Amino acid sequence: MTPLAMLLTLSSLMFTLGLLAVLTRRNAILVLVGIELMLNAANINFIGFWRYGPSDPALTGPMFVLFSIAIAAAEAAVGLAIILMVFRHTRSTDLNKLDSLHG
Amino acid sequence: MSLLAVQFAPFPQITREALPLLPKTLVEWLLAGFGAPEWLVLIAGFLVAAATVVGVFAGGFALLSLVERKTLARAQNRIGPNRAGWFGILQPVADGIKMLTKEDIVPAKAEKLLHLLAPIMIVVPSILALGVIPYGREWIPVPLELGLLFFFAVGAMTEVSIFMAGWASGSKFPMLGAMRAISQMVSYELPLMICALGVVMVSGTLSLPDIVDKQGGFHLGFIPAWNLFTPWGLVAGLLFYVCSIAEANRCPFDLPEGESEIVAGHMTEYSGFKYALFFMGEYLGLFAISGLGITLFLGGWQAPLPGLDFVPSWIWFFAKLCAVIFSFLWIRATFPRVRIDQLMRFAWLCMIPMALLTLPAAAIWHFTGRGFLSWVVTVPLLLIPWVIITVIYNKRLAPTLRTYHFAE
Amino acid sequence: MIPLLILTPLILLAALGAVWKARPVHAALLLALTLALNAILYLVLSADFIGLIQFMVYVGAVAVLIVFSLLITRPGDEAEEIARRPRSLVTGLACSLPVLAVMLFIVSRFENAGQAVADARSVSIEQLGTTLFTTHAPAVMAVGVLLTAVMIGAALFAREPGKKTQTPSDS
Repeated sequence: MTPLAMLLTLSSLMFTLGLLAVLTRRNAILVLVGIELMLNAANINFIGFWRYGPSDPALTGPMFVLFSIAIAAAEAAVGLAIILMVFRHTRSTDLNKLDSLHG
Repeated sequence: MSLLAVQFAPFPQITREALPLLPKTLVEWLLAGFGAPEWLVLIAGFLVAAATVVGVFAGGFALLSLVERKTLARAQNRIGPNRAGWFGILQPVADGIKMLTKEDIVPAKAEKLLHLLAPIMIVVPSILALGVIPYGREWIPVPLELGLLFFFAVGAMTEVSIFMAGWASGSKFPMLGAMRAISQMVSYELPLMICALGVVMVSGTLSLPDIVDKQGGFHLGFIPAWNLFTPWGLVAGLLFYVCSIAEANRCPFDLPEGESEIVAGHMTEYSGFKYALFFMGEYLGLFAISGLGITLFLGGWQAPLPGLDFVPSWIWFFAKLCAVIFSFLWIRATFPRVRIDQLMRFAWLCMIPMALLTLPAAAIWHFTGRGFLSWVVTVPLLLIPWVIITVIYNKRLAPTLRTYHFAE
Repeated sequence: MIPLLILTPLILLAALGAVWKARPVHAALLLALTLALNAILYLVLSADFIGLIQFMVYVGAVAVLIVFSLLITRPGDEAEEIARRPRSLVTGLACSLPVLAVMLFIVSRFENAGQAVADARSVSIEQLGTTLFTTHAPAVMAVGVLLTAVMIGAALFAREPGKKTQTPSDS
């Protein structure tokens, strides 16, 4: 198995783990943990292809990862702020309890 | 490796600049003489260099604990420890023996693994951070191209470990102390990094030895070209100074471990050697961040006057370090503790705007030629907002007259 | 290759713990560990700048933010943490396993995965900075606007509803 194949496998598995967390976790903050895992998996892909692919003068790999890290941090901040606001209203972060819009 | 193959190369010349590298040179010469393979000589050299740095700063930590107690005592009109040896010089030894022989108590509700890991994870980043600072012209343990970034990255590890220490203790005071400590560290890390960013912008490099090299030379023959003696550097240096007090959790920013408030904050449930590790981590972090401030703003190992180059550069660095640490002790003896809301307000409403202003000020200073004109243009840019911020800040938050309500 | 072989199972174990552990704080700390190991992976792949930025931003800020929010939204001392087997596990697995299967299929069919590039591919910081602010300058400005908006938005969200900013009138 070549290094690139190993990195791609790692990122696929990590993405799936993140997806599993988003789909199965009941605590809203732990869903955010899953989202961060998915973003990290994509970043590993970018760095892997930059390292083991043709040389790119525009440095697309590290640049994209830089922006991805910045945007992931911003999204985590806003997501947590929203979760805290909801917590203030309902005193709970359990997603199963947040069903007042349910039909 | 056999003793029969002993043939030593001539011992390399040791200049005064390279004197602290003597242990490393000695070990490498001995091992190479005994015919050890390349990789062993290399690894042994690295280990001895690391041990030198850790040994110097651990000894400095022991000395600092005594000097701090004596200085605080003199400021408070008493004498300080003077029983454990001539002028109390053996007090750190006595403290060490006490810490090591104390019973190690772990609360029943504590998470054992995290409770054990937290002190280790607080000491390790401080020691790592000490590795990238240039102490002398030829004494830098690890010359990284991204040295400054490495420093801030290992500083970020400290926050998670303080949280671990607080949460894993399983009781209320550590939890509260950890929350306060994290909010304080995160808030004061921003102005710290923005001030360092100004220096990076002007020096054009993230590598700490290069930043020190660029601060060589003298203006007007006798004023050193340090970053502190520029308009933006003055503001950025003062902000860095205040933020480093906050980052190191020292008075007046020692709310996370204020004894009269929350016992010992995140360190409450620790005893014995683990508490000594926390103590050491805090002081080594103080050395590291003072060392960084000296590197960025006070010219690192550069001499302050043109004729004083005969003094080895590492002596200048440690002299500056002693001066800065003494000022920290002085401040501790003088100021009362700030409250948590005052602390947050100060960081977000006063320090971050001023820190952000140093960036365009540094750029303007650079592009107007770094001379007298730059001073004339840059000083109002920094002074007027500062006056506005402090006037507004003071007016809005001045305490109103107290009204006392007594029981009738 | 050897550092990759050591790091990959560690990262996967830590990620699995972050996804599976019942107690939220343990999961969040294992996420911090995953992100730190990820940063080490970037350093091994000679993306030095990105590795250190990952440490600073993800481990130092995002992980701290997540654990802080978990502290604020604790269920209370007497309530136990959430039960171990989530109810929707079967559905979750049914949705994510096909995604994994498709991705692994594509990876196995990837033919150019054979060449290990010989050069160290490390990039100097000047090159990175120049490329960032010339080729990708519009993206930098857009991210700047985005981050400012996020900061203002999060600060507005976090205010106590219905009160103006509190000034301590007396101690």
